[in-house]
Order: sequence, then structure tokens, then C-alpha cells
Amino acid sequence: MAVPIMRQGDVLIASLQEALSDRALVELRDELARRVGLYRAHAVVIDVTALDVLDSFATRTLRAMAQISRLRGARTVVVGIQPEVAFAMVQLGLTLDGVDTALDLEEGLSLVGRGVRGSERHAP
Amino acid sequence: MGEAEVARRKAFLELRDEDVEALKGLREIARKYVDPVVEDLYRHFLSFEETRAFFRDPAALERVKRLQKDYFLRLTEGDYGSDYVSNRLRIGTVHERIELAPKWYLGAYSFYLRAMALRLLEAYRQDPERALRSFLPLMKLVFLDIGLAVDTYIHAREITLRKQQEAIRELSTPVLPIRDRLLLLPLIGVVDTHRARLVTDGLLRAIRDHRAKVVVMDVTGVATIDTKVANHLIQTVTAAGLMGARVIVTGLSPEVSQALVALGLDLGKLDTVGDLQGGIEEADRLLGYRLVPADPAGGR
Amino acid sequence: MPPETHVPIEHEGDIVTARQRGRELAAASGLSTTEQTLIATAISEVARNIVVYARRGEVVLAAIEEGGRRGVQVVARDAGPGIPDPELAMRDGYSSSNSLGMGLPGARRLVDDFELSTAVGKGTTVTMRKWVR
Repeated sequence: MAVPIMRQGDVLIASLQEALSDRALVELRDELARRVGLYRAHAVVIDVTALDVLDSFATRTLRAMAQISRLRGARTVVVGIQPEVAFAMVQLGLTLDGVDTALDLEEGLSLVGRGVRGSERHAP
Repeated sequence: MGEAEVARRKAFLELRDEDVEALKGLREIARKYVDPVVEDLYRHFLSFEETRAFFRDPAALERVKRLQKDYFLRLTEGDYGSDYVSNRLRIGTVHERIELAPKWYLGAYSFYLRAMALRLLEAYRQDPERALRSFLPLMKLVFLDIGLAVDTYIHAREITLRKQQEAIRELSTPVLPIRDRLLLLPLIGVVDTHRARLVTDGLLRAIRDHRAKVVVMDVTGVATIDTKVANHLIQTVTAAGLMGARVIVTGLSPEVSQALVALGLDLGKLDTVGDLQGGIEEADRLLGYRLVPADPAGGR
Repeated sequence: MPPETHVPIEHEGDIVTARQRGRELAAASGLSTTEQTLIATAISEVARNIVVYARRGEVVLAAIEEGGRRGVQVVARDAGPGIPDPELAMRDGYSSSNSLGMGLPGARRLVDDFELSTAVGKGTTVTMRKWVR
């Protein structure tokens, strides 16, 4: 499995590494779908901090991941989009409509209601 | 400036060992005439309004004359190595700093060369050819000096200009952290494509650096808000959203909003509040801040 | 840096290679990190077009200079089916987020100079340039 997926309670955390191929992204999408069902996860946090490019394919796949997770009752938050990457995405006309976003892993976990140390934190 | 570069310049000017020897031979004449030559030079500077301005302070004038005499004597000392070069390079930097334009200090070099030419003709009255032969090495050396001074002047100028451009860019796209997790972006003036990109770029970096969750973008001061500008604003808002930051746009008048909607723009993506104060209050709410007076009783 | 770098595009893994080489070249030419990302993203889009529509082709990267300013040139070419209606493909409003679009208008927004040369049955060449500001 190219992308490591961690589980923290009922939150799945996937940390994407740099230079992810299309195939690895598709594998991740399918694996996340499987695990959301398996663990009855209520949220999926996808950390893209290490990605230096988010092109149309990657963006489409992230949206697909969110759609699939939603069908299985889980919310998806994409975290860690870098300033240059966000800039390129809007220039390209790419959006993550329907997907929540947060600055980083800490913020993302706070958003979905599970702190880093496992303590409950409520979203504002 | 490396030794290789200096060597190339000397080679190009054909400044050779025999020239160095010839220049050393002029030392006596130089020492004899340094004072009158430099005095004449400053008389010349002071007789022109543009150059007089640089020497208003008498103490400064004396200091500069001393430096000038040192400069003049160094021309015939016979040591034109790295110390000499450093000294000449500094001159260009100083001229740029005090804003003495090349046309004036090039005039000074011309003055030296003419002054020395005349003194040499006098000294070798019986042998004018010798006067000319003594003069040519000096001309080569002075041109080395001119090249060094002008190049550093240009270099220093480019640095100054670049700093000014940076400063202008900073001023025109300010992102202000006004509270923890809250940024204020007051947009003023014309927002063309280039500026919009700069603003977006600056905002996104600020969101990362300050871990901002909310941005209040005030457009009261934006000159014209047409569909193009509105699209830029929407793009900025979208990009900030990708980084998890919510943007509240303030200062968009109802008339402008209506006009944009009438032109087919979907303003649904924009979270707008009438004025800046309202926007900040909204931001505070989103962040869970509540403002409480220091003394509830309203006293001191 | 060699004058030209040829990156063969034969399978989707080459897309990443092409954009990484592109980023390296952009960095070496003095482009800012933001501009490097724009060029890398543009390369990703056109390289993917080659994989999806033409199956194979190449991306040629070169450091360029004109009138004292430096820049990067990306040429993505293939001998694929060509684009039947290039004007339609280049029309803005065809977002690249729907699978019908080839993302060309978007890619154009990422770079300074953009040229599309295509003919049905003959293949497609996209030339993009980005200059150091």
C-alpha cells in the first residue's frame, strides 16, 4: 500500500507522499472506501502536505474519495494544501466543492471532533 | 570583483608593467601639483549649481578634498592590486548613495586628465613627445578607475531599485494579522490580473504563516469592481478556502453587488458583510471570540 | 543543465517524472516556488493528455533566453489522433474538472506563452513558456 492509512478511533488518516502516481491515488481511493466500511469510520482526513502539485486528476480523485466516503456515512477533510498548490489550483479552475478543507492535520482532526491525543474537541 | 576580472580589464586596456613603471615615474610631478589640481577641481565643482549642492558643509568639503588628494596621489603610487581596486569600487558605491550622477564624476576624471596633461607639457617642455608618452599610461589607469566606479554605481543602483520595488509591492498588498487566527486584507486601488495574483499569493502565504482561519477582505478602497475584478476576488476566496480559511468580504456596496449579479456573476461563493466593523464582528463570532468591556461597571 | 531534456511519456508514471524535471529546470532558471508549481502543474496536465488521448509522446524541456530575460520552455508533443476542434478545446468555460475537458484553457492560464498546434490524424504539439519576472 503506497499511502499509509492510520486509524485514530473512528477517524481514518491518510498521509499522501510526494510524487504520487495516478495508480497509487486510485488504489488509495479504493482502499479508503474499503476501510471506511470496515471500521465504520465517521471521518476521513486526507493529508496532502507533501504534495507539490494537485492537478485535475488528483483533484477529481479527491472529490471521488469524498463522495464515496459520504455514501458510507463518513465526512472527508482534505488538509495541508500548500499556498503555491492552492494558487495553481484556482488558476487551473479546480475546485474541491463538496469537500471540507483545513489548514493542517491538527486543524482537520479538530474539525472532525477528535483531538490528536484522542481527547474530544468540539468544532466551533 | 575577482582578480581574474580585474586582470581582464587591465589586459583590455593594455595596462602593462612598463605602464606601471611609467606611472611611478610621475610620482614627483603628482606630489608637486596635487594641491593646486585638487583646489582647481573643487573650484570647478563649486562653480556649477548642481555639484555645489554636494559641498554645502565646509567641514565635509575639507574632508572630501583630503580624500580627493589621496585619490590623486594613488594614481601614481605604482600599486594597482586588490587594495587599489577595492578603494576604487567603494567610490562608485558612495556616489550612488549620495546620488551624484555619472555625468558629474566623469567630468571630474576628465578634469584630472586635462590637469595632468597640461602639467606634463609644462614639465617636459623641451620634449613634448615624452610628455605624451608619460600621459598615456595615466589615461589607461584612469579608464580602469572609470570602469570600476561606473560598474559599481550601476550595480548599487540596481540593488536600490529592486529594494524600492519590493517596498512598493509590500505596501500594496498588506496582510495584517489583527487577532489570533484572523487576518485583515484591506484592498486599495486598482486590482488588475497581476496585482490580484500578488494579493492572492501574499494572502495564502500569510494564512500558512499565521495559521489563519478567517480573513476579512475589505474592498471599500478598490477603484472599480467589474466582473473581472469580482472573478479575481472569487478566486482569492476559493484559494483561501482550499487552505481551510474562511474569507469575509466587506465593503461591497449593494449597488455593486446587484450590478455584478445582473452581469451573471454567481456571488453565492462570497460571504459578504456590509462594512469592515461588521465583518470583524462576524469574524470574531466565527472564531469564538466575545468582546467584553474591561470594567463591566463602565468606570475607569 | 543540458540544452534540452526529453522525457518520454509512455505510461502514467512518466507524468510525475516530467513535472519533476520541469520543476527542477524552473528552479535552476530562477523561477519562484509559486511559478515552479504553476509550470509543474501545467506539465502534469499536458502530459496526462498525451497518456489519455495519444498513449505515447514526449515532453521536451529547455531553458530559454530572450531579450535578457530567462525562462523555461515546455513542448508536449505526440503523434496521436489530434484535436478535431482546437478552438472548442481552448474555449474557456470548459473546466478541466469535468472529464470532457482537456484542461487546455486552464493550462494556458498557468503560463505566459501558450501555443497549440494540432491536426486530425497527425498529432498534437503544445508549447508553453514561463519567464522569470
